[in-house]
Amino acid sequence: MENILQISLVLFLLILGYFFGSYREKRHFRNLQLREKQVLNMPIANIGRNLPADITETKLVVGIVVISIDYFKKISAMLRNLVGGRITVYESLLDRSRREAILRMQEEAMEWGASQVLNVRLETVAIGGRFGGKTDPGSIEVIAYGTGIK
Amino acid sequence: MILTTLETVPGKNIIEHYGLVQGSTIRAKHIGKDILASLKNIVGGELTSYTELLQEAREEAIERMEKQAEQKGANAIVNIRFATSSVAQGAAELFAYGTAVKVE
Amino acid sequence: MSIKYVPKELPIDDNVNVTRRHPLKNFIYLLGTVVIISIIIFVLLGYTASWLATRIGADNEIRVGKLLYNTISETEVIDDRRIYYLDELLHDMLDVDEIARLPLTIHLLDTEIVNAAIMPGGHVLINTGLLQKVKSENELAFILSHELGHFQHQDPLKSLGRSLVVVSALAAVGIGTSSSSGGLSDIVSWTGELTILHYSRNQETKADEYGLARVINHYGHGGHSLDFFNGFQKFEDGERQLSQVSQYFASHPENQERIDYLNTLAVQKGWNMEGELTSLPDWIHCPDMDEEQCEAEN
Repeated sequence: MENILQISLVLFLLILGYFFGSYREKRHFRNLQLREKQVLNMPIANIGRNLPADITETKLVVGIVVISIDYFKKISAMLRNLVGGRITVYESLLDRSRREAILRMQEEAMEWGASQVLNVRLETVAIGGRFGGKTDPGSIEVIAYGTGIK
Repeated sequence: MILTTLETVPGKNIIEHYGLVQGSTIRAKHIGKDILASLKNIVGGELTSYTELLQEAREEAIERMEKQAEQKGANAIVNIRFATSSVAQGAAELFAYGTAVKVE
Repeated sequence: MSIKYVPKELPIDDNVNVTRRHPLKNFIYLLGTVVIISIIIFVLLGYTASWLATRIGADNEIRVGKLLYNTISETEVIDDRRIYYLDELLHDMLDVDEIARLPLTIHLLDTEIVNAAIMPGGHVLINTGLLQKVKSENELAFILSHELGHFQHQDPLKSLGRSLVVVSALAAVGIGTSSSSGGLSDIVSWTGELTILHYSRNQETKADEYGLARVINHYGHGGHSLDFFNGFQKFEDGERQLSQVSQYFASHPENQERIDYLNTLAVQKGWNMEGELTSLPDWIHCPDMDEEQCEAEN
């Protein structure tokens, strides 16, 4: 009886994680494409030399995002950890986290009126299951930062 | 494709840049190798299976970054940086990024 | 930066950083691989462990049995005539030239749960709840010789060896007890449990065969010996809330399946399954109290 309860709880969380997770992921990717078009003309680079002579102002611009790993992805990744190979379910998660962080940085720069963002750096941190429980799969934090110039 | 960690390509002129390009991958070894590695931890020495894992991850991350640069029509990537993170335990996450440029 | 910037859009449908693979297909592939490999490992380890466990020698088995018996929390009924009765019945079930591997000890446990069990070292556990439910000596004889069959086949040792291996294998992988591994530990341990269940079903069938053969040997017929399961089936269907009851039968094949199998076996062997009922002593339902009190209770 206890086993059946456990199995149905895991199944329920898996199904919930899969449907909500993939729905949100699709929506996020569409949203990213749309917003990336809007900032397409804002140059970003991770180099900082050869600065133009007419810079009047600089500003530190930062974009931070924390995205949660859903239960389905977590279990898939754990199984992949046993089998070995590419953890495909996390790839999409990392990709959209990074793009979101860069976008937020760019959006901040645009609002401020920057002409470009230079010397961009990216950091990724895993904020893993604080409560250590089964229903707390943890999350990914990405921070993108650079110098906006006018 | 010219890859460099410098801000310029020595001896060449950068004429255009296309913004950031990035390549990332996250890979794991199977549990058997994990167990062997944890045994090796007792006596010390190089964990060849994990070195191999990172090697594979690095190659794949660079390959992906290059592909993205190609999609943008670049022929060089400058100021390449690597970053690792531990999103999943026992897995290697490697992230490479740089600025896609055209040199002549 | 003074270098000219040329905005370039990346193709939408070809994201180099994301492998194009359906997450569900990926999941099914992974789950299948993990389950199949776990089954193979559990089966291999299980066979080795049970083979090793049966080779520990009589002295060690007695020691292990004592250790395990000490973990039982139910109170044991001592110095009761029912124990002597059960002991006699159990020894009667042995074949003429057959000797028990180790001396057998009957333990009567004071609990309502309908159950009987065998432990390494020859400890036969009978619950008073079981004695309340049996209707004839034939039924009791079958249950006792079923447990005797387990003992003669060294099943308790084998199961112990197997569970030890499964537990340590899970611990070695580091997913046995850590809660942070989420549902993964459940998936692997269920596979382990199911593998054990498969073994124990085999053992049950063998013990049933042994049990019926001994009953036939003793009474000359198998009549009424399987009534317990018949009655139980109805009982179980009627009252579902008795979850402790189904626990005993969890590793047992379905009751009806069991009865059908044993009846087919009897036909094959030419065993007579009809015969007279041997009744139980009147005081079997009562504790060792005086006769009047017992009659008053019934």
